Amino acid sequence: MALAGTPSLKAAGLRHQSGFWTKLYRGYGQETVILCAMIFLLVAVGLYNPRFLSSENLITIFSGNAYIAVAAIGMAMIIITGHIDVSVGALIGVLATISGTLAVSGYPVWVAWLLPVVIGVVINMVIGVLVAYARIPSIVVTLGMLSILRGGLISITGGAWISNLPPAFLLAQQKPLGVPAPIYIMIALSILAAFWMRYSPFGRSLYAIGGNPEAARAVGIPIERRIVSVFMIHGAFAGLATILFATQLQVIQSTVPPNLELTVITAVVIGGVSILGGTGTVIGSTLAAILFATIGSALIFTNVSAYWLRAVIGLLILVTVLADMIRRRRGA
Amino acid sequence: MPQSPLPFVRLAGVSKSFGGIRVLKDVDFDVRPGEVHALLGENGAGKSTLIKIISGLYLPDGGSIEIKGRAASFASTRDATRQGIATVYQELLLFPELTVAENIFLGHYPKRPRGGIDWSQARNEARVLLDSLDCPDLDVDTKIAKLSVAQRQRVEIAKALSHDARVLIMDEPTASLTQADVLRLMDIVRSLRARGVAIIYVSHRMPEIFALADRVTVLRDGALIGTKPIGDLNEESLVAMMVGRSIDQLFPKAEPMIGETILEVEGLSFGKLVKDISFSLRKGEILGIAGLVGSGRTELALTLFGITPAAAGMIRLNGKPVTIRSPRAARDFGIAYVPEDRGLQGLVKSMSIAQNISMASLDRLTRGILIRFAKEAARATEAVKRLGVRARGGIHQPVGELSGGNQQKVVIAKWLETSPAILILDEPTRGVDVGAKAEIHAMMGELAQKGLAIIMISSELPEVLGMSDRILVMNNGRVIQVFDRSEATPESVGAAMTVAHQTLEAA
Amino acid sequence: MSLRAFLRHETILAILTVIVLTVLAFQSDKFFTVANLLNQGRLISEVGLVAIIMTFVIATGGIDLSVGSIVGLTAILTGVFWQNFGLPLPLAAGMAILAGMVAGFVNGFIIARFGVPPLIATLATLALYRGLAEGISQARSVRGYPDWFYVLGQGDLGGIPTQLWILFAVAIICAVILGLTSWGRTVYAIGSNEIAACFSGLSVDGAKLAIYTASGFAAAVAGVIFVSRVSTTRSDMGTGLELDAITAVVLGGTSIFGGRGTIIGTVLGLILIQGLKNGLSLAGIKGDGTIVLIGVVLIMTILITNIFRRDGTR
Repeated sequence: MALAGTPSLKAAGLRHQSGFWTKLYRGYGQETVILCAMIFLLVAVGLYNPRFLSSENLITIFSGNAYIAVAAIGMAMIIITGHIDVSVGALIGVLATISGTLAVSGYPVWVAWLLPVVIGVVINMVIGVLVAYARIPSIVVTLGMLSILRGGLISITGGAWISNLPPAFLLAQQKPLGVPAPIYIMIALSILAAFWMRYSPFGRSLYAIGGNPEAARAVGIPIERRIVSVFMIHGAFAGLATILFATQLQVIQSTVPPNLELTVITAVVIGGVSILGGTGTVIGSTLAAILFATIGSALIFTNVSAYWLRAVIGLLILVTVLADMIRRRRGA
Repeated sequence: MPQSPLPFVRLAGVSKSFGGIRVLKDVDFDVRPGEVHALLGENGAGKSTLIKIISGLYLPDGGSIEIKGRAASFASTRDATRQGIATVYQELLLFPELTVAENIFLGHYPKRPRGGIDWSQARNEARVLLDSLDCPDLDVDTKIAKLSVAQRQRVEIAKALSHDARVLIMDEPTASLTQADVLRLMDIVRSLRARGVAIIYVSHRMPEIFALADRVTVLRDGALIGTKPIGDLNEESLVAMMVGRSIDQLFPKAEPMIGETILEVEGLSFGKLVKDISFSLRKGEILGIAGLVGSGRTELALTLFGITPAAAGMIRLNGKPVTIRSPRAARDFGIAYVPEDRGLQGLVKSMSIAQNISMASLDRLTRGILIRFAKEAARATEAVKRLGVRARGGIHQPVGELSGGNQQKVVIAKWLETSPAILILDEPTRGVDVGAKAEIHAMMGELAQKGLAIIMISSELPEVLGMSDRILVMNNGRVIQVFDRSEATPESVGAAMTVAHQTLEAA
Repeated sequence: MSLRAFLRHETILAILTVIVLTVLAFQSDKFFTVANLLNQGRLISEVGLVAIIMTFVIATGGIDLSVGSIVGLTAILTGVFWQNFGLPLPLAAGMAILAGMVAGFVNGFIIARFGVPPLIATLATLALYRGLAEGISQARSVRGYPDWFYVLGQGDLGGIPTQLWILFAVAIICAVILGLTSWGRTVYAIGSNEIAACFSGLSVDGAKLAIYTASGFAAAVAGVIFVSRVSTTRSDMGTGLELDAITAVVLGGTSIFGGRGTIIGTVLGLILIQGLKNGLSLAGIKGDGTIVLIGVVLIMTILITNIFRRDGTR
């Protein structure tokens, strides 16, 4: 029976084969853009000031924001499921203080490293339960948690810095094979997470939950349990990020870099995760975090006042998102 | 078709209440392997509750469920799925950003020996399933977002089959399909039946029911009216069962009083689906626009209404050329549009009936800058009465709680409040029960008699043929032919809708 | 119907606020004095102005994270226009406020015309505007404003702090607009179902542009008041203001998804937060403990309201 509306055979043949490069672009468009931006910057600024490309500087670029990249992995998962966490900055501050205090008080180094991760998991478990079971929007829960952690941090530290950290504690300063540890950790975690998101049923279910929660429920995905799990995993990554953050210098400040959570969210979004949930990868966020460091360094080496870094990042987000919106409209 | 007389699923004496309201009263129902069992009833009759009980979403308050002769009770939909019951809902439960294969196997992926997902096996099995449904053109790696409604539905069916479904429940499957896709779906249903799958087919569409069903069950007000073999029924007796009264004319058509030309459209173009459209409309006339889904009818309406303003061409109202750049402008010119998707485009579900009715005419209800709430309520009460909106909570009830037919009436009421000269109705009776449908048709006739010019977009050929004074057939963005009422027949209009499609296809 | 009205978020919040304020009044006899209350009113005003307009923003289902940065930018620009450009102070402040409005308008434009989700758009402008403030000021601060300028931030009119009058007026006007006019209805419609609002002929883009511009304006005015109150300008002013404002709005019952919310709720939220901050500090509890408590109060209030709303709406 000749059916009107059946596409011609030609179209059918084409649709059976999506070429490798097309698949790559469609799947990883955003990551490619970031990579290109980074290469462009490296080349352009490198030509302007060759010291920019010194191995020392490059290593600083790649390792300096490693903790942001690690935190962004957990945040990416959260945003993919359609939620958000604005308290991660304060959390890292609190965990860093705990970690440093433990180290200075004579506890074994592995305790000082492990406990923050555990506490990060526990705190985020509470957040996850409130979001999943009490059905409080994640922006509200994490706003509240932000207050709690911020106040808590000031209480604990009283504003004092922690110094005299034992050298064994300073993971971020160790350089196996001449390359700082954070770089290894960042790359390893990113790749592991990316594989896990792509190939594990748990990982796929996160995309499902973010893309169409009702359908996910209908398929039998235990949404509430998954959300709690995702927040707990995010807490673990925050803990790991804390270790990298806290061990960078000889001291731990009593405050967190301002807007740390927003920087992490920015890395995730520029990395290609849609704020609406359901799409994106963790590789992009790692690349974005490195890109920020590249830009920061580029500003220094081109003698532009570092005070303009924030403005540049803001502009960058705008351009990225506008480009994405325009691309979507044209494709629609 | 070999039919086993032993039912796969049998419900006996099943009842269900929600918050004190009995939605199902003592209903018996069964479906056999290799049978297509149609389930009919007006909106609110209990059909969706019944299928949700069968699919495990709800637990019955009373009565029993048997599967293959043995008592069963479902703890969850997953439970029901495991026992072989699958549902294809009207709102498809798919993930737009994931591929076809991923959607089919979400939740039960084939696994590699060491535990990871075996993607190549998943893709192969998906391919096999789709081929068994005669869908060679569907690529398993495409994202759902890129597929048409009909294709997505086939993915849903494949998904059900991947769970080895023995009972497939289809809820209003043809509501958003083109005629060609309906035929294709019917083929799929027949092939599933031949394979021994039991199919519960919930639909309002008579032609399909009479073409496919082996038995028919009718529910009314939560009670079982009867279950009969299709051979014992004709359309009239079936409708009588559903409605409890005989509807003499499904499409009451009063004598048209047609006046002067109010709208002239010349060479209107926008995008790919509105190409060089020209037609005219007179007061008191009902112009039906027929065409396949995707032929550009809604797109034309959206251009006339200012949502996608015309890129080229001219619109003349009462002889004067006008530019319509926004819905607000269209409204000010006297054009009203009752949209296709009333849930998304027509209503704010959380707001009350009164607030929805006033939404397009707020400027008339303000003194200074303040809203006159008393006047708003008064007008809403009047509109509700005039249109026969049935709402248990009065005009302050949230619109989301009303049935499809009543919701549609609220949308129409909203636009009538703007005193339009031209009323565009896009699929006005889709998802509306038979009773409300007749009321809406009667209302259209009345409005036309009073001088309103009406454009009616509809995919239901009987409705188009029954209600229109003239019929405009669109295809692929162009006007193919205009029929006068007297010369329109199902064959000629249907041919105009499809012939051109193939011609353009070859081009 | 009466029980349902009783269980509304705003009612619960009002009761809670009264209870809290009463308890605090007993903890310290300095709490309920006129002088203290008026001073607290002064401190509320900056967040208050921003929060009141933020109610509109969040009720449309949007959010504005850039308000804190606009405060900082306006503060810096006031200083720059006055000191570096030599403009008379009123003109400098006026132009700074105008700049704030433009900043808000840019937000609205990106969100309405390009369809960028408000969270991302204002996240970007938060960085951009703060960055501009930092870049323009190069971390230098401006001092030495003329005395009359301080009337705005530190003075009184008829015994009541100047900025409190402003806040009062804005609150009343906005409450009327949101609750009783067609613009308010438009806001709720956009928050509940933007597409249906557009299809009903409501001017969705126009409403959004207006709201975000107003948000920028409110933040700008708050910025000028802030400068007047602390007699100096620094580029980090207003950091964190957005979260305080959003907390007050959400605490006040506005749904983060849009479609519901009132000005009175936001005002109650402001009062409760400030009351806690002040009362606890007067009772001897350190400031950080209060911040913790506010976070807890926010979560608990939403939790309680969720329990009461059994229909499971978000």
